[in-house]
Amino acid sequence: MTDDALDLKDWRFSIDGEGIAWATFDREGSSANALGQRPLEELGAIVARTEAGARDGSIKGLVIISGKERGYIVGADINEFENLKTEADVTKSISTVNAMFDRIERLAVPVVAAVHGVCVGGGLELILACHYRIATRDPSTRVGFPEVKLGIFPGFNGTARSIRQAGPMSAMQAMLTGSMISASAAKGMGLIDELVASKSALPWAARKAILKKRSSKAAGLTKSALLTWPARKVLARQMRAEVAKKARADHYPAPYRLIDLFEEYGGDLDAMKAAETKAFAPLLVSEQSKNLRRVFKLSEALKAQAPKKLKWKPVRAHVIGAGTMGADIAGVCVAAGMEVTLQDISKEQLEKGISSQGKLFGRKFKTKPLKDAAKARLIADPEGRGISRADVVIEAIVERLDVKQALFADLETKVKPGAVLATNTSSLKLADISKPMKDPGRLIGLHFFSPVPQMPLVEVVRGDLTRAEEIDKGAAFVTAIDKFPLITKDVPGFLVNKVLTPYMFAAMERLERGEDKEKIDEAVRTFGMPMGPIELADSVGLDVCAHVARILGKGSEGSRLERLVQSGRLGKKTGEGFYKWVDGKPQRSRSDWPKAELEKLGRELVDPLITESQRSLDEGVVASADLVDAGMIFGTGFAPFRGGPLHFKTQEGGKTVKAAAAE
Amino acid sequence: MTRTLRRVAVIGGVRIPFCRSNTLYADLSNQDMLTAALDGLVDRYNLKRQHIDEVVGGAVVTHSKDFNLMRESVLGTSLAPSTPGVTLQQACGTSLQAALMTGAKIAAGEIECGIAAGSDTTSDAPIVFSKKFSKRLIEAGQKKTMMEKLKVFQGFGPSELTPQAPMVSEPRTGLSMGQHCELMARTFAVPRAEQDQFAFESHRKAAAAYAEGWMDDLLVPFAGVFRDNNLREDMSLDKLATLKTAFEKDPKATLTAANSTPLTDGAATVLLASEEWAAAHGLKPQAFLTYGQHWGNNFVAGEGLLMAPTIAVGKMLERAGLTLQDFDFYEIHEAFAAQVLATLKAWEDRDYCKRHLGRDMPLGSIDRSKLNVKGSSLAVGHPFAATGARIVANLAKLLSTHGGRGLISICTAGGMGVAAIMESAEKPL
Repeated sequence: MTDDALDLKDWRFSIDGEGIAWATFDREGSSANALGQRPLEELGAIVARTEAGARDGSIKGLVIISGKERGYIVGADINEFENLKTEADVTKSISTVNAMFDRIERLAVPVVAAVHGVCVGGGLELILACHYRIATRDPSTRVGFPEVKLGIFPGFNGTARSIRQAGPMSAMQAMLTGSMISASAAKGMGLIDELVASKSALPWAARKAILKKRSSKAAGLTKSALLTWPARKVLARQMRAEVAKKARADHYPAPYRLIDLFEEYGGDLDAMKAAETKAFAPLLVSEQSKNLRRVFKLSEALKAQAPKKLKWKPVRAHVIGAGTMGADIAGVCVAAGMEVTLQDISKEQLEKGISSQGKLFGRKFKTKPLKDAAKARLIADPEGRGISRADVVIEAIVERLDVKQALFADLETKVKPGAVLATNTSSLKLADISKPMKDPGRLIGLHFFSPVPQMPLVEVVRGDLTRAEEIDKGAAFVTAIDKFPLITKDVPGFLVNKVLTPYMFAAMERLERGEDKEKIDEAVRTFGMPMGPIELADSVGLDVCAHVARILGKGSEGSRLERLVQSGRLGKKTGEGFYKWVDGKPQRSRSDWPKAELEKLGRELVDPLITESQRSLDEGVVASADLVDAGMIFGTGFAPFRGGPLHFKTQEGGKTVKAAAAE
Repeated sequence: MTRTLRRVAVIGGVRIPFCRSNTLYADLSNQDMLTAALDGLVDRYNLKRQHIDEVVGGAVVTHSKDFNLMRESVLGTSLAPSTPGVTLQQACGTSLQAALMTGAKIAAGEIECGIAAGSDTTSDAPIVFSKKFSKRLIEAGQKKTMMEKLKVFQGFGPSELTPQAPMVSEPRTGLSMGQHCELMARTFAVPRAEQDQFAFESHRKAAAAYAEGWMDDLLVPFAGVFRDNNLREDMSLDKLATLKTAFEKDPKATLTAANSTPLTDGAATVLLASEEWAAAHGLKPQAFLTYGQHWGNNFVAGEGLLMAPTIAVGKMLERAGLTLQDFDFYEIHEAFAAQVLATLKAWEDRDYCKRHLGRDMPLGSIDRSKLNVKGSSLAVGHPFAATGARIVANLAKLLSTHGGRGLISICTAGGMGVAAIMESAEKPL
């Protein structure tokens, strides 16, 4: 029976014959359920209706369930965050929601959350306000608090409620890392109370929970003991040390504020709720959070480059060249579920390349059958028998034009119709490689970054002759291996290396002029890059840098770079380059330069990167300024909290104008 | 009212890769595998949210909770929930029998379409308590007071707690299937070398089928698995000859782990329909199912546990008015290399054919180059109830590619054989 008293757009509400009220979240015009303003208002009306029904005895309980085929609640609607300009706006908006969640918690009848699919952020906070939580064991069902990645932390009182349910250790861990948690792990933590096998069993389990008046138990004594003041002090210190390894407090304040909140108020969860809003509001309106939200949207923009409705689905890949790059490409394809044939003329190289992927599979797959299945999907194929069955053929061999030309002219005759032919070249022009091909429009570039398993970006290179449909397929392939595609024009260095190179060489010129390498790197880290340009050169390999320099006409006889290369000191891989490397880390001696000096130098060092970003946009290397920013953030780790080089420049310009106006 | 029989179209089949037990599917159940195989079929033939008149099949090794296995599996797929599921079982003949029964209903006009399917896993075998202990548990459940409940356990001994694994031997003879097949190998004089050669060829042919992409549209990857993990591309005859015998220690024994099928997990499906239904759904039949026959023999009296298919085929040929030589493809399930070889010898044997098939002349020899041309159970494995659907799908694809007529023969536990004839869709009968 539908309840006509409520006028709902984003929810459906009905009360069944047993007096169970069903609130089905099915946000209008959207494939995912985000808790925007209207859905929250409508939920408020549902809560009021349930309160009335509970009073007059017509409602025995409330079930909150999703009407989407997949996905429960993806959290608050981050697009609406931009409407909140001041801390007061944030406090006002959040307090309304928190008051409503409190009413859910205080309802006299059982409220059950029935979860299938992703339930994160505000969605997880909503279910934590319910009395009992049931989830499907489906692999798609996952919970988590990704807020910290957006420069904030849970703001719908999820900090206090998650600590209440899971205890401080695992709740804080979840909030500080933002990691996704499977349904069974969430049950182990105490965030979920009951698991069912399938989506169809969910409403029946919810019905039973309501009729039996089930309610969740808070975390036990052992976990709660950690909420005492001395224990909080110790925990907070450990957490700060952990977080400091990953993020600087001046760039990423959110996790630090969360730890402060816990340390001060963790002993009194009601007080923590109130304090949460106070600490949350300034974070949400901060420049860092705005930029991190922008980064999230940029990642969506990158994914959107792959057409969603494409019928073509890559299932088998063939990779030619089992060097580190080729083997790693094969490994990530296998990790994403594909069957991969890996080809190399050297049997040893092939064996080495295949066995090197064990680590990745071990990280990705937790059970022996899944690990063994992954191993079985990576097939040594010295004769190239997989070519004719592959959906994607990727070449990652020596950077020699004649060799690549011959390879693709031959491949073209062997692959099946519709298969993608891709080169991982970083320095040759696609139109040159495809010259001997009968159908040169077929060749695309897939430029991976090293180390492949860690780097989220892949440039999908459109040669002068490449057909649009091949680029579409290339982008779809990149999303299928869980990476972000960036479609670029075929210019030397594509986007990322083209923008990076002048910046790195400018830094090396400074070094040549006598600037301290450690100061250069520290200045750039102060700006917000994950790594300084000199360490980066060492990590990439100085031979590669020198090669790129020559291609781009920047090589100079007798430079430190050339001398190091000639003496075989190639950077991290040989243990010494500009730095000495021990256990994969450069050996540094000091870091005590004045902050203002570092900031000024950092800005200067980044300048060539910004200039080249603008030039790349002007030259149409990628389609928009946002894509330039996205490419630099995901391709080089360009300070995410600054929102990308072009965005940073615009904001900086805005500030200068404002400052000038204020004077 | 008279009704004419209609042709039974085999639209095609999809299966998941087969895996040796306790390997890649160790954590999965029959229902998981059947659901995945059915969803693979749904994807291949655009059956999402469609009603199918029946899904018939089963598994040999099942838990008591699987009493409604096919219906439960259907409910887990994207087929319309109005699709009924029938759980039936005829040992290793299960999904071929399912295809025959569904086919008969299509021919009679009772239904328009149906799916035959089968699954098995010995990684998830049901382990039960002894009968004595189970009985005590049930009785205790019926008693009201604690004292009464305790009384039920009077005279209880710990030996009652020994778990009972599912029986792998024939209930009437106490012999395992391998031991029975050893007897057949002796009766029909099938030497070890011949069996090894036969197994070797099965692997070679299946490996070639993979390499040429033959398997690509017959298989849907599942749980990260793309190919049958029993298949060995690098098998050598010399290596086979060194293997110890698996069922008997007797020096005259001939059956090894390599010339017998391993315990296997997997599931297979095949879609059958009337020509009208196929046309209305834009689907092209790959072949037609034209005859089916099953028969049992008196294996308890020593006729050979796995020899019943010889009779089923003989009876079926009689009805069809065909000779054993009138086929372009033979799909004889390879439970053991010795089973296939003994079957072929029996058909060539005047005395056997007279005594068991009631024929004056033997059925004769077949052209061995037409037998199991893409390999069979020895190479890809044998999840008991799934094998029939795998074979029907494989033969349908062969007939749609090459035309002609094919014969299927499957031996089962309990001394039964299930057989069928399929014909190409191209040549009208």
